[in-house]
Amino acid sequence: MEFKQSFEELAAQDVHAEAQRRKDSGWRYVQILAVNLDNGVDVIYSYMLDGNLQNLVVKDMPRDGQLESIGDIFLESFVCENEIHDLFGISFTGMPIDFHGKFYRLSCDKPMTIISPEQLARREKEAKAKAVAAAKKEKDAQNASDADMEAKLAAMDPEKAAKVRAAMEAKRAKAAQKEAE
Amino acid sequence: MGKATVIPFGPQHPVLPEPLHLDLVVEDETVVDCIPQIGFVHRGLEKLVETRDYNQFIYVAERICGICAMGHSLGYAETVESLMNVEVPKRAQYLRVIWHELSRIHSHLLWLGLAADAFGFESMFMHCWRLRERVLDIFEKTTGGRVILSVVSVGGVVRDMDSATLQWICEVLDGIKDEYSKIMKTLLTDYSIKNRTVGVGFISKEEAVNLSIVGPFARASNVNYDARLFGRGAYGDLSDFQPILDAQGDCYARVKVRCLEVLQSIDIIKELSAKIPEGDIAVKVKGNPEAGAQASNVLEQPRGECYYYARGNGSKYLERMRMRTPTSQNLAGMTVALKGCDLADVNMIILTIDPCISCTER
Repeated sequence: MEFKQSFEELAAQDVHAEAQRRKDSGWRYVQILAVNLDNGVDVIYSYMLDGNLQNLVVKDMPRDGQLESIGDIFLESFVCENEIHDLFGISFTGMPIDFHGKFYRLSCDKPMTIISPEQLARREKEAKAKAVAAAKKEKDAQNASDADMEAKLAAMDPEKAAKVRAAMEAKRAKAAQKEAE
Repeated sequence: MGKATVIPFGPQHPVLPEPLHLDLVVEDETVVDCIPQIGFVHRGLEKLVETRDYNQFIYVAERICGICAMGHSLGYAETVESLMNVEVPKRAQYLRVIWHELSRIHSHLLWLGLAADAFGFESMFMHCWRLRERVLDIFEKTTGGRVILSVVSVGGVVRDMDSATLQWICEVLDGIKDEYSKIMKTLLTDYSIKNRTVGVGFISKEEAVNLSIVGPFARASNVNYDARLFGRGAYGDLSDFQPILDAQGDCYARVKVRCLEVLQSIDIIKELSAKIPEGDIAVKVKGNPEAGAQASNVLEQPRGECYYYARGNGSKYLERMRMRTPTSQNLAGMTVALKGCDLADVNMIILTIDPCISCTER
């Protein structure tokens, strides 16, 4: 038996029907997890059959969104569903064992959706560093192309080269003016 | 039939090493329903992935549970390696499996001791834990730690074993095997133990499959599933690996499966010690996981299949790390096994399922 893993997208309204389809075709429920992202929360359902681990991703669920519980098909999912409700704020309708937000004893609501100040600062710093690196790369590329052009102009007829230089200067001035606006 | 009464069981109970609460609905002396409740030791370890980089988090992962420490560090490392397409050297794969199987032996011996104590068989508890100490001695000599080993890194392992040490491990295991065989014989043939376990907490194969039960709990109901069957890492080089199965589906079958798995792990370690190839024990891992890259993985922990998920964000910190433990998967099966049992058998059924609450809550 070989182990394989894959990730596929799943629409939020198909969660229950997909669980039923998997159960009918012999798939085993593995888990449900949530990932807190900038656009919302991704919820991932995993099923396995003969070593094939399929992760079905419900993308960009709104925070405090709602999904249909699959507990009537896979009773064992109540642990993950209650956990996601308590930690991420996604609620599941029709859970067979519903702890109504009291599954974990927590000091704050939905702790996994809180972006800590350290994490936020790190993300901003990384975004800034990425932008600086991209600008440097662009500048280097521009310098390289300028050097190439100079080499070509040096090999040209001087009169023609002066015309090209003037045209390039005008183009650069126009671009700078546009940027200033 | 008598009036239904709810009896609270746990979170503090002599038979429970960890806090698990059950609301047992009983009529006369029979349990008719059971609602499990966890949540007393949730530590938010998955959230720590935001402040520990992917190399540091391995030390958090192995602190999820004192019994499955090696398994969690291994499962986490394998998932991050899959995320970053890292190929681990063959020798490191062998060393990882040797330590992981030793960890299975120590987990099962710990469990057998606790189960024997619950039977009221205290001398058996002492013998099981005495043998377990010898496995911890192997850990101490080879890794420097007895519980938290910190020996796995992303890309390999941090310590090697020479051939003399491997030979010594095999000799210690031979000694354990001799003594353990006598203990096992008593455990599996003793009249009082059989009286408490045979026919108690029955789960059929159909129920086990329907409830997605994993680990020895499922294998005792004849479900032929063990994540080691995928043959990844050094497991693929074993001459023959077949999961230990039993068709009885009761507490006795669960005791038997775990007992035999100890012997199977000893055989695996001895075979791999003889076959271990020479070479590097780690590769240098450069760069960070790509933004949006995700990987999932399963690993056979002593209590059953454990699922791992990792997602990168382009930095050295992971966006998300998730572990779904075997106990999380087995809780529903436990409620089904408890339905219809005598109140006096509840502790036996819970113990033979071997729930690990610290792992489950993380």
